Amino acid sequence: MKNIVEIKNFRMDFGRKTVIKDLSFEVRAGEIFGLLGSNGSGKTTTLRALLGFYTPTSGELLIDGKPYDPEDGSVTVGYLPEERGLYRKEKVIDNLVYFGELKGLKNPREWAIKYLKRVKLDTKMDEKLEKLSGGQQQKIQLGVTIMNEPKLLILDEPTKGFDPMNRRLLMEIIEELHKKGTAVIMITHYMDEVEKLCDRAILLKDGVAHAYGTISEIKKQHKGKSLEQIFVDVYGGNDEQ
Amino acid sequence: MSSKQFSTVVKFEFVRQIKKPSFWISILLMPAFIIGMFLISMLASGSKDAGPAQINENTKIVISDESGILPSDSPFLTKEDKEQGIEMVKNGDADLYFYIPSDFEETKKVELYHISEELDIFNTDGSVIKAILNQTVSSHFDDLDIIALTGNFDVVDNKLTSTGENANAVGKIVVPLVFLVIFFLFIVLFGSRFLMTVVEEKENRISEMILTSVSAKHLIVGKIIAMMLLGIIQMLTFIIPLVVAVFIYRDNPMVSGILSTVEINPVSIIENVILFVISVALVIGLCTYIGAITPTAKEASQFIGPIIIGLVFPLYFMSFFMAAEPNFLVQFLTYFPFSAPIALMLRTAFGTLSTPEFIIGCVEIAILAYGIIWITIRTFQKNAINFGIVKPKLLKRK
Repeated sequence: MKNIVEIKNFRMDFGRKTVIKDLSFEVRAGEIFGLLGSNGSGKTTTLRALLGFYTPTSGELLIDGKPYDPEDGSVTVGYLPEERGLYRKEKVIDNLVYFGELKGLKNPREWAIKYLKRVKLDTKMDEKLEKLSGGQQQKIQLGVTIMNEPKLLILDEPTKGFDPMNRRLLMEIIEELHKKGTAVIMITHYMDEVEKLCDRAILLKDGVAHAYGTISEIKKQHKGKSLEQIFVDVYGGNDEQ
Repeated sequence: MSSKQFSTVVKFEFVRQIKKPSFWISILLMPAFIIGMFLISMLASGSKDAGPAQINENTKIVISDESGILPSDSPFLTKEDKEQGIEMVKNGDADLYFYIPSDFEETKKVELYHISEELDIFNTDGSVIKAILNQTVSSHFDDLDIIALTGNFDVVDNKLTSTGENANAVGKIVVPLVFLVIFFLFIVLFGSRFLMTVVEEKENRISEMILTSVSAKHLIVGKIIAMMLLGIIQMLTFIIPLVVAVFIYRDNPMVSGILSTVEINPVSIIENVILFVISVALVIGLCTYIGAITPTAKEASQFIGPIIIGLVFPLYFMSFFMAAEPNFLVQFLTYFPFSAPIALMLRTAFGTLSTPEFIIGCVEIAILAYGIIWITIRTFQKNAINFGIVKPKLLKRK
């Protein structure tokens, strides 16, 4: 299967602090990939370097065989960052249409209205974004992320702050896109989500990959323990691998 | 795809700003204020017209009449020619020198020469001088024809500086001053708007989402173009009422007096347009850079005051700029990057800037503006996810 993401010998230093020592992994086209690790293990740094926000100290980070360029139409990427927001003073519909136009949608308004109906926010389309609740705003952010049916969907803690309803909606959307062939990279601390959704995963610790492979391979490497137990063992210092 | 994204950014930024009531309030207040000031000054100058009281018995008046229209025994009449009469003014032997040319009957124009210590644009109004002459002549003549005559000719006012130079430079400075006023308004009205528009993405945590959809270069330049379009609207909002007001009051002595002296010099206009455009680019660069290095609008707004003060600093030394020979401070302000735009505009207006100096100043501003905008784009890209103030590397502790 073709790789949509290739990370080779990635090292990232911030001043004297090394966040990523030497990281290599691939994400295959159409798979759901879990990027796992404790807080500060370098997950978000890896994604930001992949998307060009950070210049790596060394190594290569490629999407579809080349460094990411947001204006290169050959590969579509949807990114739901950890720090996320939209134009709060603008109307909901204007936010969606603006991003739709930037992402090259043929009829962004039509798409926006359809999406708002799906997430039951069609009555709020002419309201300013800041008037919406936090959960409602997250739905709009999610819409912006998936609107161009991306080839690669990158989600950094997507369910953080989501209520169970929104979490279920997100899972449905991920599964829908996955069925259409979208590759998904997901950072999450919810191991049940990983077990349910992910085909493969990588576990980062101290700037290197501690475990990497399919979920079953990782479990096998850790005597068949659940992912949550593996996580606790690795970061609690009880890992016997 | 990139050109479409660029135009999308321009459209979005333009439309959302123009929809804001605050945009229209801010740009309409300024012309209203200026028109108010204009009307007040008109009223004030109207009251001044009533009494040319400066002319008294001690005023030394000399008249040369080559037309022969005045009786030969008229007081003040001299046999000196025009050049000698002007020299008398320069030497202080005459306060007012009237020269009536030989073709007076056709032209109906009298030339007036007098010393002027400083430029006073409202004193070039022909009716004031006419009233002075009228009063002066009528106090010495009972001849009704002569008094009537004073109301039927134009006086060409030739003010001289204390050094004897022609000080009637109002016509030359009107066009450069208009550019200066527009530039000043641009700084005041749009400086903070530029700054806020760049900081907004970081403050609202939009940076990462937007920069995976459009490049930093197209985002920043798109914002800049949108703001410049808004600037053009603001200029038109300022200029159109002004033109209409001037048209309506074109018969007002003060307005017609100013209009008659305005010198439309294509070279000067081109120079001023070049200077204006690169100066605007510099201001945009400065403001967007501040927006790129600060995390919130609140912190960014602290910088706008110093930027404006730096840019308008030369205005505090206006009298130095009016001097024929620029002193060290004027030279310094001309080439100091942030004060250069207004310093160059002032010197262009007062005619104290040589062509090489103009070229050097413009090149300096253009390079600086380009460099700052380039750095801004890189800074915005690299610090889009840095939610603290970016310190220049040199200031970072090793």
